[in-house]
Amino acid sequence: MSPNDYRMLSARFGRNDGHKLAVYEAEGGYRALRTVLSGMKPVDVREQVKAAGLRGRGGAGFPTGVKWGFVPEGADQVYFFVNADESEPGTFKDRYLLDYDPHQTIEGTIISSYAVRSNLAFIYIRGEFGWLVDRVQKAVDEAYAAGYLGKNILGSGYDLEMIVHKGAGAYICGEETGLINSVAGRKGQPSIKPPFPAVSGFLGKPTIINNVESVASVPFIINDGVEAYRRNGTEKSPGTKLFSVSGPVKRPGVYEIPLGLPFRDFFNDWLGGMVEGEKLKAVIVGGSSVPVLPAEEIMNCNLDYESLGQAGTMLGSGGMIIIPESSDMVELIQVLMHFYFDESCGQCTPCREGTGWLHKIVKRLRKGEGTPEDLALIEHVCAGMAGLTICPLADAAVMPMRSFLAKFRPEFEALIQETAPAGPQSRWPRGEREN
Amino acid sequence: MAKLTIDGKEIEVADGTRLFDACTLARGEALPHFCYHPDLSVAGVCRLCQVEVEGMPKLTIACNTTVRDGMVVHTKNERVRKAAQQVLEMHLINHPVDCPICDQAGECGLQNQYMEYGLYDSEVEEADKVNKKKAQVIGPQVILDKERCVLCSRCVRFCNEVTGTGELGIYNRGDRAEIGTAPGIELDNNYSLNTVDICPVGALTSRDFRFQKRVWMLKSTESICTGCATGCNVRIDHEAGRIYRLKPRRNAEVNGAWMCDKGRMTYKGVHDEKRLLSPAAGGERLTWADAGQKLAAIAGAGVGLYVGSAHQTLEELWLLRRAAAGAPVSGGLANADRGQADALLLDADRTPNRAGLSLLGVGEDEPAQLAERIRKAQGAVVILGGDPAAEPAVAEALGGRTVVYVGTHRNATAQLATLALPGATWAEKAGIMVNRQGRLQELRQAVARAGDAREDWRILAELPAVRGDAPASLRALRQAAGADLGLDLTNLPASGLAPAGAAAPKTGGDA
Repeated sequence: MSPNDYRMLSARFGRNDGHKLAVYEAEGGYRALRTVLSGMKPVDVREQVKAAGLRGRGGAGFPTGVKWGFVPEGADQVYFFVNADESEPGTFKDRYLLDYDPHQTIEGTIISSYAVRSNLAFIYIRGEFGWLVDRVQKAVDEAYAAGYLGKNILGSGYDLEMIVHKGAGAYICGEETGLINSVAGRKGQPSIKPPFPAVSGFLGKPTIINNVESVASVPFIINDGVEAYRRNGTEKSPGTKLFSVSGPVKRPGVYEIPLGLPFRDFFNDWLGGMVEGEKLKAVIVGGSSVPVLPAEEIMNCNLDYESLGQAGTMLGSGGMIIIPESSDMVELIQVLMHFYFDESCGQCTPCREGTGWLHKIVKRLRKGEGTPEDLALIEHVCAGMAGLTICPLADAAVMPMRSFLAKFRPEFEALIQETAPAGPQSRWPRGEREN
Repeated sequence: MAKLTIDGKEIEVADGTRLFDACTLARGEALPHFCYHPDLSVAGVCRLCQVEVEGMPKLTIACNTTVRDGMVVHTKNERVRKAAQQVLEMHLINHPVDCPICDQAGECGLQNQYMEYGLYDSEVEEADKVNKKKAQVIGPQVILDKERCVLCSRCVRFCNEVTGTGELGIYNRGDRAEIGTAPGIELDNNYSLNTVDICPVGALTSRDFRFQKRVWMLKSTESICTGCATGCNVRIDHEAGRIYRLKPRRNAEVNGAWMCDKGRMTYKGVHDEKRLLSPAAGGERLTWADAGQKLAAIAGAGVGLYVGSAHQTLEELWLLRRAAAGAPVSGGLANADRGQADALLLDADRTPNRAGLSLLGVGEDEPAQLAERIRKAQGAVVILGGDPAAEPAVAEALGGRTVVYVGTHRNATAQLATLALPGATWAEKAGIMVNRQGRLQELRQAVARAGDAREDWRILAELPAVRGDAPASLRALRQAAGADLGLDLTNLPASGLAPAGAAAPKTGGDA
């Protein structure tokens, strides 16, 4: 197995012409859309995607076809959103999909919109991805010109308008209801559920929000069928998945892997292991919000939803952060705690106050001003946040915090016992970074 | 109907009932909460009302949960109490705890919840609490302390959903989030003080009430507002004969949970320096004994016209009609005390009892009409309340006539009265007012009458036609008036007595 064996999603990655409609069409693009619009009913598409077992690639891993089925029958207006607010630290796969192959996502979006009987689709692109907005808009314009979007698509009678929307740069807008509020012109913050967006979302109408990678997976499922899709992956985690790998490995980058691939093989054979002089210490496997696993634990995991779940972490977004022995874990968690403190929308009290509190405690530890009680206090604050809020941002802060402390407690204790860390020396002197 | 078990107690509630309300029923008290308000949309942000529903892995907020048949709910077990305590601790970590100088102390949600759910040893080691702006004037009536705010968003939702004015918003995010107004915008609407009422902490305080009184010194009297024909249900907060504020009382049939800012300020008239505090004749103060003799003499010589007012209670107006004993009675000026209505509660009719005049069949007059009736009247003119002489035509007609005036303030009518008698203001007496819906509601006495002021009905009882058979008490007066009108006036329901076919309320919260 090698990276080039799996090119369902990433066929045009790394090429300088893959974003062009002509290239996409020449390589079989928009064939799936023709198939769908020349005879498949929306329910057929839903059933096929459900049968393929495609699980949401944004992080939660909820079955995409099942989610589509939540739209009430007979809804007069349904909205479809593609979530391209990719802002989970460590994650940069959707950016590749949209940059190198925007038409794959657009085709997937048209088919997905058809499946939920939506006539208006939005692609919500993270504000920081300014160039992607232009790239995707150009591709959308091409699709309109070619008759893949607009009125009566390919003579089928199906209409779909597509709007490319640029976010204003907030992590929380990647949460479904935060995204909807942001597009609706309200403050980007999550809404309470119920009602769930599939019943009452954008403008109070049924709304489906799917990750870029989820919709980009749909054309393959239509073209090659359920069996071909299930040929890769495991029974419960079928298909391929993009992982974006950062950190001091020999070959960082975005990889399409068959789910179930042993981490050990991925790490040694695909990533080429660590760069010279570095040793693997830990891995955050699915974006910064999932629990960290020390090297010896991740080495026994397979990269799929179940195996990682059993190991106490999550596959998440596939944003894999490789942590070398030379890293100071307390410093890393300080960076993360600053992130969640900065990005909490401030709506729910446990998250608003808890993220700030955790950040202060960790900062204090790193200044050498910590006390032995602080580690229990961290646990106490985490307990007051986890599971007590509208959206999972509080949990997203608690999971790394708890796991860093649980798995690398000696590094925290060393900071308290001495004024200098016993562990590896930080690249930044303590207290100088105002994170 | 849904049958559910809450803390081991079985209760049955209507389908669609909010679990929060079902819990209140079962527990006899509300769950701890800041953001939930029955008259506003659900925000679900304070996270205090979390309860355990069997079969659900996580705790759930009761305010955003609808009851299901067979639900088994725990609101008092260790897990729930612990969660409430933890959330409360989060609420307090950046709170300034400046209770001694906070107007809300004594009626503060944070203080109350802490007594109930807190009582922990503080874990907060951080010296650097998040500092925010304190004592910021955000409108003519309201002052904002951002540090005390728990960001429950009630005030924001009120301005969005009730007044539709949208002045307030939550700016910034995380623990830097704060309530504010956009540049150049003020919280300036006729309902702005409701934000102070619904603020569970001392973040929004009333500029009028600020630093006037510690709230635990106040006594409360349930009454109604007399500022307009709506008759919002209020609580008069007072101490030692002085009123400090009016607060709305929830009556879904009349005012929901709200009242207007104009109405709240009506208490100032009770303590106005222009109050009529003793009987007076020709600019000279009289004792009540002398005044009584003078009244008897004037009335004995014959009264040609009785003039009432829509400011007086139903009982007083009924007694005035009886005192007239067939002589002409006017309801006062039809054009007086009118203003602009708003879309919510404030009525264009700024009197509390015009519907009461109608109920008694006493018609009002236009100024020229009233002037004409005065001119035609043989003998004295007795005026109860209002200020008809504020109209030049009426003042001219009254010139040189014998005029008895029962009123509360030294107004134009009091100035030209032959005999001016001090009546009681709305806060100094009990009575019944009939609001614009035709609903009979009770005014209750909150404070002692100022100076020598007397209840108006006792003054009227001195008139010759009543004197021989004067009611012994207000209750007796009510019984007599009620018997006459075919209404039970001695036992009004808490939400008022709505006659059949009364107009639907303009606002009613979630009635």
